[in-house]
This record gives sequence, C-alpha cells and structure tokens, in this order.
Amino acid sequence: MPKCTINGQEIEVKPGATIMDAFYQMDQKEKIAHYCYHPALSIAGVCRLCMVEIEGNPRLQIACNTVVTEGMKVNNDSEKVKEAVKWGMDFHLINHPLDCPICDQAGECGLQDQYMAYGKYDPEMAERKVKKRKVVDLGPRVVLDSERCILCSRCVRFTEEVTKTNELGIFNRGDRAEIGTFEDRPLDNNYSVNTVDICPVGALTSKDFRFRQRVWLLKDAETICAGCSTGCNVDVYFNKEGVFRLKPRPNEKVNGHWMCDVGRDTYKPLNRDARLLDARLSEGSKVEYMIPLMGARKAAEWVREAKADPKSVALVLTGQYSNEEYEAIVSTFKADVGSDRIFHWVNNPETFEKFDGLLFRGDRNPNTKGLLQAMQRHGSLNNTWNELVAALESGSVGTLVVAGPLDLSVFPDLGEKLASFAKAKRVVWLSSGRSDVVDACPSPLIQIPMRTHVEKTGTYVNHAGIAQTVHAALAIVPKALTLSEVADVIAGRDVKRGNAPAGVGRRAQNEFTAHRGAL
Amino acid sequence: MFQLSDEGKAFVKKQLARYEQKESAIIPSLYRVQDENGGWVSPEAIDHLSELMDIPASRIQEVMKFYTMFNQRPRGKYHVQVCTTLTCGMLGGRELCSFLMKEHGVKGPGEVSKDGKFSFSHVECLGSCDTAPVMQINREPYHESLTEEKALKILKELK
Ligand code: SF4
Ligand code: SF4
Ligand code: FES
Repeated sequence: MPKCTINGQEIEVKPGATIMDAFYQMDQKEKIAHYCYHPALSIAGVCRLCMVEIEGNPRLQIACNTVVTEGMKVNNDSEKVKEAVKWGMDFHLINHPLDCPICDQAGECGLQDQYMAYGKYDPEMAERKVKKRKVVDLGPRVVLDSERCILCSRCVRFTEEVTKTNELGIFNRGDRAEIGTFEDRPLDNNYSVNTVDICPVGALTSKDFRFRQRVWLLKDAETICAGCSTGCNVDVYFNKEGVFRLKPRPNEKVNGHWMCDVGRDTYKPLNRDARLLDARLSEGSKVEYMIPLMGARKAAEWVREAKADPKSVALVLTGQYSNEEYEAIVSTFKADVGSDRIFHWVNNPETFEKFDGLLFRGDRNPNTKGLLQAMQRHGSLNNTWNELVAALESGSVGTLVVAGPLDLSVFPDLGEKLASFAKAKRVVWLSSGRSDVVDACPSPLIQIPMRTHVEKTGTYVNHAGIAQTVHAALAIVPKALTLSEVADVIAGRDVKRGNAPAGVGRRAQNEFTAHRGAL
Repeated sequence: MFQLSDEGKAFVKKQLARYEQKESAIIPSLYRVQDENGGWVSPEAIDHLSELMDIPASRIQEVMKFYTMFNQRPRGKYHVQVCTTLTCGMLGGRELCSFLMKEHGVKGPGEVSKDGKFSFSHVECLGSCDTAPVMQINREPYHESLTEEKALKILKELK
C-alpha cells in the first residue's frame, strides 16, 4: 500500500490508485479542479485542469492519470499549480459564450466554481469566438449547446462505457470540434439524462428541467427513487412550489452513480396537481369532501360495521409503501379487525422479472420485497388473488380496503382492478394520486390521500434485499396520512403524527451555496 | 443503399484482422469506401461499414470528420485540396483557395462547380511546409510554392 503526502497530509492508497483517487479518498475532491475525470468512467486526461506538482518532478502532472508511488510528495496549492490552472481555465473559456445569466447550469457549474477559485478575470482574447450549434435537440430528453461544451468527453464516455449505446461522439477537429450524434440520430436511451448530470458545464441540459427553476432557489434532500424495485439513491430538489427534479446520488451497492430516465419522471406524481388533496366520499351521485383524518374515521366505521363477520373485510396491498406501514396495517388487520384476508396486488405480472441489465426493473414498485416479508411474517402469503376475486364475485366482501398505488401510472391494470373491487359493498381507497377512474367507481367509495415516500420516514427493501430508510424531506400535502396512521384510526388508537418532515435535507442552512453538482 | 464490392468487404475484413485494436482498421476501410463511392463517404456508407466492422457509426464518423482527406460530400472530377494549416495559412493558403473557388464559380469548400469538374477543400497540414502554399489534386503528387496564377494555370490544363 503506497503512502504519499498530499498538500502536507499523509495518506495510504490502494496500489495503482491515482493522485486523483487519493483526493477523493481524502474527501477533498472539491480541492482539485477536474472536468474530464469522473469516478465511474474511464480516464481521458483531456481537460488538463487537475494539475499537481510532484516533488522532484520538473513538470506539473495531471492527477487523474498519475499513479501514486511510494513516498510521493504532491501538492496542488503552489503558485506554479495555480498559475497553470488559471491559464488552463482561460483556454477553456476562449470559445465559451459566458452566458451564465441564461444558462441552466449556473449555480452548479464546474466552470463557474473554478473560475471563482482560479479565474484570470481579465480575458485577453481579441479573436472572435467560434460559433457552433445551439439548442440542438439531441433526443427526447436532452438539449445540447455546443458553444458551452468544453469537450471533456464525459458524455461520450458515458454512452460508450455505461449504456454501450454509443450515440455520442466528438466530430470535426480543433476549435471546430463538437459533440453530436451520428447523422443527428436521437440520443434516446433510458439513461440519457445522466449525461446532463455529468456534463460539468451547461452544454447538456434536461428538457424537463431547463428554465423551470434557478438551482439556487431549490433545496435538496436525500431519498430513493420509487420507480422500480432497484431503489436508486437520489436527491430530490424542491421548493415551496413543489418538486422539480431528481438526480442520482452515488451508492455503489445500489445504483452506482446513475439513475434511469423513467425514474427521473417519478417526481411528477409527487406534486400537488397530481395529488389527492382531501378525502372524498362518493355514494352514488353524492360526493362529499372532508379532511383526510375524518375520511379515515369514516373508513374505520365501515370496517367496524363489517367486522361482525371478519371474513367480510379484506385488505389489498400494493408494493408502494414502507415496511413500517405494512407492519402496522397488516398487524391491525390481524389483531384488531380479526381478518386474514390480505392480498397482494401485483400490477405488472408480465414484466415483473424483467431487468435491463443496468438498473431498471420490471417490478415498478419500491417495496415488493418488504410487502412479501410482512405478509409472510403474518402468514398471509398464501392468499391468492383468485380467492379475492371469488369472494368479490360472490358478494361476500363487505368492506374492501385497498392500499393503492402512489404512482398511478405504473398500474396499467387500474381500471380493470377497480371494476372488480367495485363488487365489494364499500371500498376504502388509499392513494396519494387523484384519478378519474377511481372517482368513477360505482360502489360507495372513500378515497383517503396518502403521503408519498418523500413525505414520510420509512424503510424500503429493494430487489436485492437491501433495506433503505429514507426520511421525510418535505410536505407537499401536509394533511395526507400514512398507512400506519390509517391503521391507528381503524384500530381506534390515538394517531401518532410522527412523520412530519424533521427539517429538510442537508442544505437547509445554506440554500444559496454555489458548490453543488458533481464536478 | 451503398454496399462495398465483395473485394471491398474482403479488404475490410483483412484490415480488421490486421490490427490489435479494430478501430485502427477504420482509416484504411474509409479510404476503400471513399474510392468505391465516387470519392466521398456517405452516411449510408458509414452505416454499412459500421455493420461490417461491428464498430458504432459514431466512432467511424468521428474518424471520418477528423481527417480532411475524407470527403463528407460528393466531389468534382478534380478535388482540389488547399492546405491552410500554419505555414500555408500564413503564406495565403486560404486566400488562394478562395481565389480558385471564385474563378470556378464555386461558393465554398465542398461545393462542386456547375460542370462537375471541380470541388475544393481546405485541408490540414500536407507536410510540405517548406514549399508553402501547397495543394493536392485528387491523390496526385503535390503542387508546391503556389501563386494564384500558377495554381489557376494548373487547373486550366486539366481536362
Ligand atoms: S457536452 Fe458536456 S459532458 Fe459532453 S463533452 Fe461537452 S462539456 Fe463534456
Ligand atoms: S432504475 Fe428504478 S429505482 Fe432506479 S431510477 Fe430507474 S425507476 Fe428509479
Ligand atoms: S485532465 Fe485530469 S481531470 Fe481532466
């Protein structure tokens, strides 16, 4: 294990590790400028900004491609290094449009950050800037501004090494070199927005996010993506107007550095316009709205009324809730209601086992594993869907409680299932999303708004059995309930509203910091 | 749809076997395609090569667009390549090319003259800096130490 000294600090690294690795290991990646290096991609060594001075070596070296040797003494804070980085920066800026005020990357831009640290502040270029393609529609989700591109080649390496789809390339040479796709064919793979994340400048921007918010007006908090059973670690970016985007947060065990494009959209059902805001009771043509807690009381009444014959109460669960909630609702059903008619609604039997080889899985639920574990603990794993259907057909179900989807769009069978649920005398529908299909249900139905995974603390078990606990990040529909709270109401217990967001994520204190995004 | 001849395909296969990294076979293969496709490399031709070589089209396109000896558009019978890199550039390569284009009623590099006889392009260093400015016509030997008159005369003599 070679030892070296970096800026006076001694550190032991793995054999073969580069100086850049050592900076990362010391958690000092902010201290070294680097645009082309990315921990999850091959080394390109093209941006020439990660200059370091190595004792005994007359020339500066790049940290990303220099392997640490025993006793190496390295620094990147000498005047010589600063001078080199300053000029390197200036080269990058020769043809850069410097349109920060209208650039989406501003506030999380590698170029801005480095310029503040190493800028020359006095450009001496008298030549005209080279004009390149602007607002290039690269694909369904990504827009390119070639003038802003510094040709770090991260995006090219991403499509070459990670997705292996090879859409992107650097075409032409010299100062006319440009990022593009072969014959402008679309950059259309399920991971394309990751190129936006790794682009250190504003050359690649996300169609969905661009011009919607300045990043310094957003806070972020750690959570997971609930889009499928992979459970990618993500940061959710939001302000009081709602959630605006998700970005992956590195976790080697779960998602590496990436997330899929389908997952990027999973913030949409979190926002108010897609949400159920109040409890809604519909009986025939009569519709009544009430606060969620009152709705839950009404539901509890229905459950109690049917309880004389516990068999006439049934519970349907989807894989969209947390372990804690499953435990609460299942044990309440078993102990307090006395019913063991608990069923698992599999929304996607055809694609359930599918996997794209990278991250995205056919099971579009964050916690199917957790649900199955809870059912197993309580001995209801063997209940089959056919039993439920038979009971519904025979009219023996008095009150049916459905812990429905948080993301309605991943339940293509919603209408079909509801038609069958409507055969129960009364239906309690728990969901965070609002849907015309549900509203149209002919039998007496009460809909109760649920919190989404970013609004409550809970544990989710991914496909590989990794349990991940996430904390409440924000409250979008503050009155909405959790499944545990509904269980409390059904059981007649006091409701513990213990899940209010405990302060927002890690940037709460300083929401205007410039150092964000991964360099 | 462009297809290489059987000999062309065999040639490409041979190149692929020849190098440690198959990307090294891109340049000779592009030359072959250009020769068989009337002097330029069309997007269809790259698709064809990509399939033949099992190399993504974007990788081949990168090489094709990097080197000025591959033409991205159809060319004239005589393709006049004027060097505009450092020495030639300083000694009037660009101006020379503009002059020749004007004389032949051609608006810019890559365009073909009405009679189909000439096309022009700026090329990167031809490696003959000591006799700048230089030009090359098709794959023939260079014409060196050019002046406008001299270059025009050379073109006039071409049938
Ligand atoms: S578009 Fe962005 S990621 Fe791609 S080469 Fe340019 S600067 Fe780098
Ligand atoms: S792979 Fe699954 S968990 Fe990961 S981002 Fe995509 S949908 Fe979300
Ligand atoms: S050259 Fe080292 S990070 Fe770019």
